[in-house]
Amino acid sequence: MKSSFPIFLAVFVALGASFGGFVVGGISQLGTEKQTTVLNSTDTYPLQRTGDATLGLQVYRAQGCAACHTTQVRQDGMTCDVVLMGAGKNLRAVQKVLGEIAPADKDLATNQLPKTIFSGVTKEVAGDNSDKLTGAGAKAEIHINATGADISRGWGIRQSVAEDFLWDYPVQLGSLRAGPDLANVGARYTMNLQLQHLYAPQSVDKNSAMPPFKYLFVVRKKINGELSPDALSLPKGIVPDDSEVIPTDDAKNLAAYLVSLRADVPLYDAPFTPTVSAPAEKK
Amino acid sequence: MNHDLSNSKSQTSTHLTVPIWIIALMLTLIFLGGVYFDHHSGWFDAKVYGPYQSAGQLAAYQPLSGEAAIVAHGKQVYEINCGTCHGPDGMGMPGKAPPLAGSEWVNAKGFHRLVEIPQLGLNGTITVKGQPMNFPTGMAAVGSAMSDADLAAILTYIRASWGNNADAVTADDVKAVRASVGGHHAIDGDVELKTIPE
Repeated sequence: MKSSFPIFLAVFVALGASFGGFVVGGISQLGTEKQTTVLNSTDTYPLQRTGDATLGLQVYRAQGCAACHTTQVRQDGMTCDVVLMGAGKNLRAVQKVLGEIAPADKDLATNQLPKTIFSGVTKEVAGDNSDKLTGAGAKAEIHINATGADISRGWGIRQSVAEDFLWDYPVQLGSLRAGPDLANVGARYTMNLQLQHLYAPQSVDKNSAMPPFKYLFVVRKKINGELSPDALSLPKGIVPDDSEVIPTDDAKNLAAYLVSLRADVPLYDAPFTPTVSAPAEKK
Repeated sequence: MNHDLSNSKSQTSTHLTVPIWIIALMLTLIFLGGVYFDHHSGWFDAKVYGPYQSAGQLAAYQPLSGEAAIVAHGKQVYEINCGTCHGPDGMGMPGKAPPLAGSEWVNAKGFHRLVEIPQLGLNGTITVKGQPMNFPTGMAAVGSAMSDADLAAILTYIRASWGNNADAVTADDVKAVRASVGGHHAIDGDVELKTIPE
């Protein structure tokens, strides 16, 4: 074959380019990712999963959860709020500035603080206005919020970044959203609610399309009419009154894994300002 | 590329088989791709994800370490370390711990005593809101293993929550008080607490 060398070269370049782009490029960009610290704190993130949650990842994988659920929150943009924290010594000077930049708040009293003066503005607008307030002696803060369709659905507070998946092997990103995104599901449901949702999804959300995973549980008669310590506390009507539902180890591990899915702290690469009244419960 | 590889004379063409407009279109697309890449790649920075377009923009959007951030962190650390006895609402628990909400010790002007109580622990009778209280187990030195920043965040949080209104405590404040304490036994109630300067 006379043209074998050019063909070899062409194949080499084609395969080499995709290997370089997908494997070498990916590793050199994110291969050295390690634990980081939560913004403005000394906490490490992400913490290693507990043993049962690590096993739970394999249950998640075996049950094919990733076929219908993603664990990646997307973010379309970011907005800023200007929050007036304190009026400082000269309330009248602050009110005067407020009269210029936000006439609705010009009669602000100190007992209304902290108060959001602007919300959903760009960094530049927020910076200008907070400088004006600071100039009048007030204490103003700029709060950063992540925005996007996923975030407004309550699936997360910020987008998912590489650190979130540091302890996952294999990473269960998922690509189809027949169900909601689970990147932050640990902040939405408690352990018992996770188990109840696995046993009888429609008892938690009546419009849920999720099939019940009843085979991960054992239903048996109550002993002396008393609930066992491990039994789920279910609403009435799901099982007969004299029966109880006991999760198997798989169910417990899976629920522990789901509770460990909690991407609700600010990181350098996914910044936002946490609100004081626990954002996880509010969303 | 066909005509390059071919040796047969009959296939040799004398002019380009690719029309010039396709070449121009390709070059334009490559140029536009380059512009898009330049705007959206963050230059392969591992920390830059869309919608952030560059490391500079990401740095500009970092929330400042304002009091709100410290209070939010303090709430987290408080609920893990202190909330089990003092209650998530700061109301304390009978037989376990005195209330922090409205406590004159928490709302004190200075922070020395407040740093020393978690640093050293507290035994004996303590009077809160005019009511002498005695807790059989006392308070262990739960704060001695915390970082300066964490303890400062907790103190800032309890001084700013549940109707309390006292100044923030910084990590440097905590560090300074800790350096002055050194080795010590648990504080013995009101009597010894009052000997510590505010």
